[in-house]
Amino acid sequence: MLVWARRVSQGLFLLLFLFLFLQTESKGSDQLGYPAKLFLDFDPLLALTTLLSGHTLIAGFSFSLILVAITAVLGRVFCGWACPLGTLHNLVGAMKRWQGSQHVRAWFHVKYLLLIFLLTGSVIGIQLTGLFDPLSLLVRHLALGPYPALNYAANGLMDAVYKADLRAITRVADLLFEFFKATILAFQQPRFEQGTLLTLLLVAILLLNLAERRFWCRYLCPLGALLGLIGRWAPLNRQTEASCNGCGACDRECQGGLKVDAWRASECLYCMACEDACPKDAVSFGFSRKPSSETLNLGRRKMLLAGSAGLASVAVSRATPTFYPNRANPDLIRPPGSRPEPEFLARCVKCGECMKVCTTNGLQPTLLEAGFEGIWSPILIPTKGYCEFKCTLCGQVCPTGAIQPLSQAEKAEWRIGTAMFDRGRCLPHAHATPCIVCEEVCPTPTKAIWFEEVVVKDRNGRELKLKQPHVDLKLCIGCGICEAKCPISDHPAVYVTSIGETRSKKNQLLLDNSSRYGA
Amino acid sequence: MNRRDFLKNSAATIGGLAAMEALSPMLLTAAESRPDLAVVHGNSAEGVVRSAVEALGGIRRFIAKGDVVVVKPNIGWDRKPEQAANTNPEVVATLVKLCFEAGADRVKVFDRPCNDPQRCYVQSGIEAAAKAAGAEVIHPDDRKFREVQIPKGVAIQSWPIFTDIFEADKLINVPIAKHHGLGKLTMSLKNWMGVMGDNRGRIHQRLDETLVDLATIIKPCLIVLDAVRVLTANGPQGGNLADVKRLDTVIAGTDQVAIDAYGATLFGLRGADLGYVREGARRGLGVMDLEKLTIKKIEA
Repeated sequence: MLVWARRVSQGLFLLLFLFLFLQTESKGSDQLGYPAKLFLDFDPLLALTTLLSGHTLIAGFSFSLILVAITAVLGRVFCGWACPLGTLHNLVGAMKRWQGSQHVRAWFHVKYLLLIFLLTGSVIGIQLTGLFDPLSLLVRHLALGPYPALNYAANGLMDAVYKADLRAITRVADLLFEFFKATILAFQQPRFEQGTLLTLLLVAILLLNLAERRFWCRYLCPLGALLGLIGRWAPLNRQTEASCNGCGACDRECQGGLKVDAWRASECLYCMACEDACPKDAVSFGFSRKPSSETLNLGRRKMLLAGSAGLASVAVSRATPTFYPNRANPDLIRPPGSRPEPEFLARCVKCGECMKVCTTNGLQPTLLEAGFEGIWSPILIPTKGYCEFKCTLCGQVCPTGAIQPLSQAEKAEWRIGTAMFDRGRCLPHAHATPCIVCEEVCPTPTKAIWFEEVVVKDRNGRELKLKQPHVDLKLCIGCGICEAKCPISDHPAVYVTSIGETRSKKNQLLLDNSSRYGA
Repeated sequence: MNRRDFLKNSAATIGGLAAMEALSPMLLTAAESRPDLAVVHGNSAEGVVRSAVEALGGIRRFIAKGDVVVVKPNIGWDRKPEQAANTNPEVVATLVKLCFEAGADRVKVFDRPCNDPQRCYVQSGIEAAAKAAGAEVIHPDDRKFREVQIPKGVAIQSWPIFTDIFEADKLINVPIAKHHGLGKLTMSLKNWMGVMGDNRGRIHQRLDETLVDLATIIKPCLIVLDAVRVLTANGPQGGNLADVKRLDTVIAGTDQVAIDAYGATLFGLRGADLGYVREGARRGLGVMDLEKLTIKKIEA
């Protein structure tokens, strides 16, 4: 009975998660209209580490207190009943026929050491939690890998049916396609750097379930570890009646990998499999003050090592040219509303929400542009997609305020960088050919791209009147639409770099910088 | 081809004064009821569109029962109606209603915008207004762009074009009049850039010839130029309300060259100041000399 209640709950939470995931997409309005980051808001691990690394309380994370309270009373029910990644682990684990007693590696302590590593790191300002946090991980990997792949597959299939022109079949398929486009497919095919890698990593994490059920949840999940710590004194306990004959049926089914005589609240996922499996009905869950036989002995040396590693991670990650303080990375074009780089890195959990919601697909995951600690954080790559002038969605979905939500007025003045011309490639500048695309698409109310009317000579000495574009450095906001739409599409003749970005005091160019929203 | 079109075409293409003189009694009576251009000024966008179409002979002159009609506005930019970067939504919706009043079977409305398509459709107000009027508002499907030959093309001999415009029975072009950095102004001829696929920015290298090349294969039966609000600078995208001028006017006709030539006068220019209008007239696609046109001005 209870095991089915749990499965229904898991299904509903997974559906809710996927629904919010699919709604993390522009429909053309200024406001997204859905609480896309809701699952992340409930995550106390993200709340805690952001509090430590960013020294800030984030209003959205107040939801995570609810999860803390639930866990304190009911234990890790979130892991067993709600976590969407946990549910996927269940589904993959169920693909294997398990026989006999479980081979349990008993590496339970690893996740606590990982938690210590992440927490000590965050104390001195490095935020690596998002790489391992299950919710952040799932949004990121789904958004950047499998979801684009799903779209690609669907589009490819429908193109084939469309081209084959199978009369009735094609017509029905087209109707179905319209339905899918309106529901689960993206408006435009999303494409992300490292998408393949991120898919493979997610697949690898899921395949761990074939080694042991819920391998990730037992041994690796830092959120599971935190909830385990909070829930270790939970009054909801497993009780075994005297009628238990030690047959081991519960051991074989336990998703947490526990033994009947060594039940621990911190490792129990409250999946109710033991209760369901017991032939004697000797297992039940109920409230009692009886403390579970809880011992969490990580070993002082290991704890010290994990903590030291967390502290060392800052030095290791930052003693690189990326963090050379007087020279910004020209390619590190952060989304509008982003905080100054150190603060940004202290907050960003690389959940990928901003990249998922970006209307032009311009926000892409970094590899090493922001150092190793910044891996999979968002940058704008204008040749992939520009920053839409009136769109403010990335700031709306950011769970940590690494990207601050901007009003339309703030967005209109926020510089993410500055465009400049490569006059050797530009058609009117170098090739006596008219072209005005950059100026046409420039979105600032008074265009940041202006023309100088010149008379040039072509190869035959023929005089031509041309308009040569220039950038007004005071007006350019670095949105990159000029770069995105430049007809020299492989290597545009106008391009944006991060200089002049509003968020930075140092990465500036003009002596008189009238940007109103300085960092 | 009805009598009026026949007369107009003979006048334009042959241009024979003798022929015109010989037919002048007939032409004059026809011109009284059916001018080349109807220029209507008034407070209500719906009102001016309706009386402009009425002045040209009524919607039934253009749309027959059962027609599939494409109404092609400019939805190029993520801007609001008051910023005058896209066609006025009420003007679009009125044309959709008129088509249905004439018995049209389906009316499709679309554009291939420069900004994010969904934002353009929503923020312009056109998606909501056209849908409310009964139109199918669609985003051009990538699969339906086909390489189309342009036999009389000078700058381009073929280009991927959204084929819905060729599958429709009738085309109505409903552009907005606004400033443009290269073409000086963008109106009806330039509006067909919105059905071009591929890296269409390249056409600016020979903009005037390309626009006329397109006009040799894309033949709207009716053009309604929206000048309810016009954008006088920082076009074609605008964004600054100081650049917007309210004219409360539409210009309707069947000749894109003539429409654009008249449109130029709204900005203090002449048709001959616009390269694509000159090119269109030179290649015989329409008349740019306003003296040669009968223009009916109406206060609605």
